[in-house]
Amino acid sequence: MATTTATLTLTSPDVTGHSFNMTQVATLTKAASSTGLDEFTGITSRKYASAQTDTVIVADSIYADTTVAHKVYIRNTSTGSSDHILVELEGNIIIGRLYPGDWMFIPYGGTLDVQVTTTATNVSIEYGVFSQSVAS
Amino acid sequence: MARTATTTVSFSLSSSDLLSSSLNISANKELKRAGSKLGLSQTTGLAIKTTSYASAGVIDSTVLFRGDDYTADGANKVYLKNLSSITSEYFTVYLTGSGGTDGGGVTEIGRLYAGDFAFFPWNATGGTKETFIATIANTWAAGDTWEFDGIEITAADSTVANIATLIDECQFPNWVTSRSTAAVTFVARYAQDAGTVATATADITVVTAGDGDSVVSSSTLGTKSLSDIYIKPSVHTEMSLEHMLIHE
Repeated sequence: MATTTATLTLTSPDVTGHSFNMTQVATLTKAASSTGLDEFTGITSRKYASAQTDTVIVADSIYADTTVAHKVYIRNTSTGSSDHILVELEGNIIIGRLYPGDWMFIPYGGTLDVQVTTTATNVSIEYGVFSQSVAS
Repeated sequence: MARTATTTVSFSLSSSDLLSSSLNISANKELKRAGSKLGLSQTTGLAIKTTSYASAGVIDSTVLFRGDDYTADGANKVYLKNLSSITSEYFTVYLTGSGGTDGGGVTEIGRLYAGDFAFFPWNATGGTKETFIATIANTWAAGDTWEFDGIEITAADSTVANIATLIDECQFPNWVTSRSTAAVTFVARYAQDAGTVATATADITVVTAGDGDSVVSSSTLGTKSLSDIYIKPSVHTEMSLEHMLIHE
């Protein structure tokens, strides 16, 4: 059984009226189980020479669904401040915009494709999926 | 001067045995406003939502964040964590979206099982808010009453503009108002698709000694928000979700 650990740290001296510091650690496990997720796509790194519209980066067809605890990691690795990546679920269900340097880590049900849309050229992205081989 | 803040978020993924060699992925980012070097400066603070229902048959979803309440198309960030320690307990996280694959117009992002967390950008795309204009017209008298949305006002005199002012000064639970002479414009606090019937004259109750009226015009139907975030627990017994929104 593999053990994969995700760690999130959020710190700010001034976003609230007091200093804020939070660290969360999660071990990535299969749904309703203490067994670790057993699949990983690796990290894909792409640089889009042209604007993208609903480009599929995670195809639901290759993942188990219904009772799953897949996780998707996506990061906008572009530089600058404005070349955002719009992250959507299939069917134009918009999650949000990743600006350069922004990243996201979400649970994934495996029932819809994850897509990205960009407007600028040469936008860079990296992404990967941690998943379970079969539904629990 | 615009308030700014410095918030840094760090993330790492590591495993010594998922692959044949050790895995280490890390990302750090200072949270900025969309296309800006200014930091995100507003937050809901770190909060906990505890759900509990009488039985499994009546488990329902809860709206965690409404798109209408926040700036759309920005660089908002959402943090969620399932605080349960029972491995089988999960929160399903939904977006309203334009379609909906899970009934009732929501679409599942995924499930947060015990101890799982998520961190993601949120577009906060609201819908169109229903609007209408109520014009105080004809002959009114002191003591006449006007009622809508659970709020009643009593006319102090017969001047229609003064009555409209009284209405505009009310704090309605589901509407905000503005006034021009005797016309009060109502805008719904939240966007929703109310179907085919917009607010009509008959929805306002007027009790008048004369022929005073409150005529509704310029009704515009609303459309639902496209980015509301819903959560739904897997069990009816108590479950808690930790959450925080850092936004524009």
